[in-house]
Amino acid sequence: MMINYQKFTLDNGLEVLVHEDASSQIAVVNILYKVGSRNELPGKTGLAHYFEHLMFGGSKNVPLFDAALERVGGSCNAFTNTDITNYYVTLPAVNLETAFWLESDRMFQLSLNKKTIETQRKVVIEEFKQRYLNQPYGDVFHHMRDLAFDRHPYKWPTIGKELADIEGYTKEDVEEFYLTHYSPDNAVMVVAGGVKADQVMKLARKWFGDIPSGKIPKKSIVQDLPQTEKRTKEVMAEVPTDALYKVYRMPAKLQDGYLEADLITDIIGFGKSSILEQKLVKNGHIFASIGAYILGTVDPGLLVFSGKMEKGQKAETAEKALNEVIGELLQSQIQDDTLTKIKNQAEAMKTYESVQLLNRAMSLAFYAHLGDVDLYEALYEKKTSIPASQIMDWAKNILREENSSVLYYKSKEE
Amino acid sequence: MSVDRTTAPAFQIPEQISFPSPSKRTLQNGVHLYFMSTPEISAVKLEINADSNRVTGLEEKKLVASFALHLLTEGTHTKNSDELDAFFDTFASEVEVISNFEHNGIGLLTTKKHFLKVLPVFRELMTEAVFPEKELAKRKSQKALSISIQREQNGNRASHLFRQQLFGASHPFGQISDEKDVAAIEKSDLEEFYKEKLWANPEVFLAGNLSDDEVEQVCQLLGTLPVINTLSGHTHFENISKSRLEERKESSLQSSLRIGCHLIPKTHPDYFGLWVFNVFLGGYFGSRLIKNIREEKGHTYGIYSSIGSLRNADYWVVMADVIKEHSEAVIEEIYLEIEKLALEPIPEEEIEIVRNYLIGNLLSNFSSSFDLISRFKSIHQAGLDFSFYEKQLDYIKTFKPEEIQAIGKKYLQRSNMVEVIVG
Repeated sequence: MMINYQKFTLDNGLEVLVHEDASSQIAVVNILYKVGSRNELPGKTGLAHYFEHLMFGGSKNVPLFDAALERVGGSCNAFTNTDITNYYVTLPAVNLETAFWLESDRMFQLSLNKKTIETQRKVVIEEFKQRYLNQPYGDVFHHMRDLAFDRHPYKWPTIGKELADIEGYTKEDVEEFYLTHYSPDNAVMVVAGGVKADQVMKLARKWFGDIPSGKIPKKSIVQDLPQTEKRTKEVMAEVPTDALYKVYRMPAKLQDGYLEADLITDIIGFGKSSILEQKLVKNGHIFASIGAYILGTVDPGLLVFSGKMEKGQKAETAEKALNEVIGELLQSQIQDDTLTKIKNQAEAMKTYESVQLLNRAMSLAFYAHLGDVDLYEALYEKKTSIPASQIMDWAKNILREENSSVLYYKSKEE
Repeated sequence: MSVDRTTAPAFQIPEQISFPSPSKRTLQNGVHLYFMSTPEISAVKLEINADSNRVTGLEEKKLVASFALHLLTEGTHTKNSDELDAFFDTFASEVEVISNFEHNGIGLLTTKKHFLKVLPVFRELMTEAVFPEKELAKRKSQKALSISIQREQNGNRASHLFRQQLFGASHPFGQISDEKDVAAIEKSDLEEFYKEKLWANPEVFLAGNLSDDEVEQVCQLLGTLPVINTLSGHTHFENISKSRLEERKESSLQSSLRIGCHLIPKTHPDYFGLWVFNVFLGGYFGSRLIKNIREEKGHTYGIYSSIGSLRNADYWVVMADVIKEHSEAVIEEIYLEIEKLALEPIPEEEIEIVRNYLIGNLLSNFSSSFDLISRFKSIHQAGLDFSFYEKQLDYIKTFKPEEIQAIGKKYLQRSNMVEVIVG
């Protein structure tokens, strides 16, 4: 099932996509900015996510963003990850123009007043504590990323490396970030729901047409050299049981080998019938749980195994058991029924994802940002037709010890 | 061409919202099935919900229902655990366990393409499960571990303690499970529960792009399920006089707060007023609590108040993780905001925002046909139907601020509040 869309680009570079769904009385306006923590520098980590908070702090003609939207029956939210910052508004379709007014004003002339900058600094510090510091296993990815990457900004999580970085942002940092990344030529807008393409085109020209293109060139992003040695780190923490994180470097989203890596984790880790679940959890005594997944990143990323040990079992022992399963996989052939299962799952996932209007809008925005909306369909077709031998070749290429980093996250109580 | 950005575009607030009801069928065993047709969606959702009989269960066996339900996919008379896993994964279908205060059951999420193949095996789970020892042992150690992790999570711990204080430590809603409760579960407990207690007053909820024939097949298969008809017991709760429970932790950077009390049933004349009062106070992003504690003071990442739904009478709770040193100050501010909202005139502008936001929210909640069955289920299980939402919409449009102020003042009294602080 394809997601219908029409597309046009304004003179200032803003890419606009329209997904009509006549059955809906609501509209979604989703704006993706092509900026995430990969665009940050050491010492200023977490800036992209913090900036997302500032985008709700009012613009020249809209002192209170949320209230202006709520007044017309709408609501909104946003998220930031390593690669993108995505804002979405849901409102009655009859009030579509309000979303254009609000979104264009904050793209064009955000206020960035001192009160917002200081309060949101506090709020983000509390978010950092609530989600990463004051949670069992909460800082795992701080350690893991730091170990697995050398200089690439994936070395720190989107929330930031440490509280000190967030405490240290200056007004200049914030203003420069806005001018560099928040311009129409660095964004994709998707308008979906009970809307018409010609109506959206008119509104886009009216509200976004006179916003100038970006002024400051983006800095290039340092890329890591290939890894040549296995890395390990041990962390002792106040947690009830040991945890093991083993990651392997893998290709970027549009590079060769990416889809194969995705398939490897599907085969080895998806669902209760997966190899990991069957061999290590249901029929083993070391793991209480284990999963495998990829970080679907725009630059070369990680294939991740993450598991929690049964009480009293050590992370080092768990790694040996995991290695055996990986070793067996590399010696074996992928069975036809496994491939059928994976294909069925890929097809069903697309169905489940597309139930909600907002998800459809986000998918379109995400693939447009990768360079071509049709990749949504093309990558799915490609993924479901890769032969087993090609998956195995990539498995052997990626799942090498010298390409891995291992975090032993150990319980102090044991 | 330059656009005038200083003036907000004109807007309208939808007058009517349609609340389409599902069709109802009665199966051979007397069970009611509610079906919502969603012609444009290829996903299918099927749920069977029974009344939870926890009220009558033994306290030391409080985890029986949850264990039994989680083990349904671990083996039946015709398929072992591995075969069931492979079957559901191959057809990309998810079996979900429903185990909450008032209901037990299982749900199936699948696609139209695989629905009829998966349906008979899903049906088997309801009567043919065998609860193998090996899978039970694994589930027990997993559950014990997740209990010990949850205890370390301040937010979870605070919610558990809050329920314990509010409902009482011996009532099923207030019991906190520990490793002892896990150890007490035996295969025979699960078998007995499965056979004699699980399918009490069940109801079926179905949504998808299904033909009459496909719906009929569901009716046939589920019509043979032996069901138990019971009068389900529902406790009446009274507010206890103000109580405070603190579990301080040296190493915590934040404190998790939970404050709340019992409310009134959804059928009570004051209900909508109380519901709207809660929205102003802490029920949306523009609320008084968010504005004060997050956007003004920066003491928290988030603070919300909400109404928990129970069949007989709902309850109210405020939740927040706040800077440790400011936890007392935040608690005082919460009471201050209740008082201000109840006693000082509410600005016209704020009233307009809340009215319009709530109407938009209701429209949005009813905009996806696939979600309609869940909206129906929740209101139906409270003993009501979609006319509840018609009345709610009407109330949103017409409420008078003085009215909700009087109602808020009446029910959210400090002397009734249970306070819990963890961390």
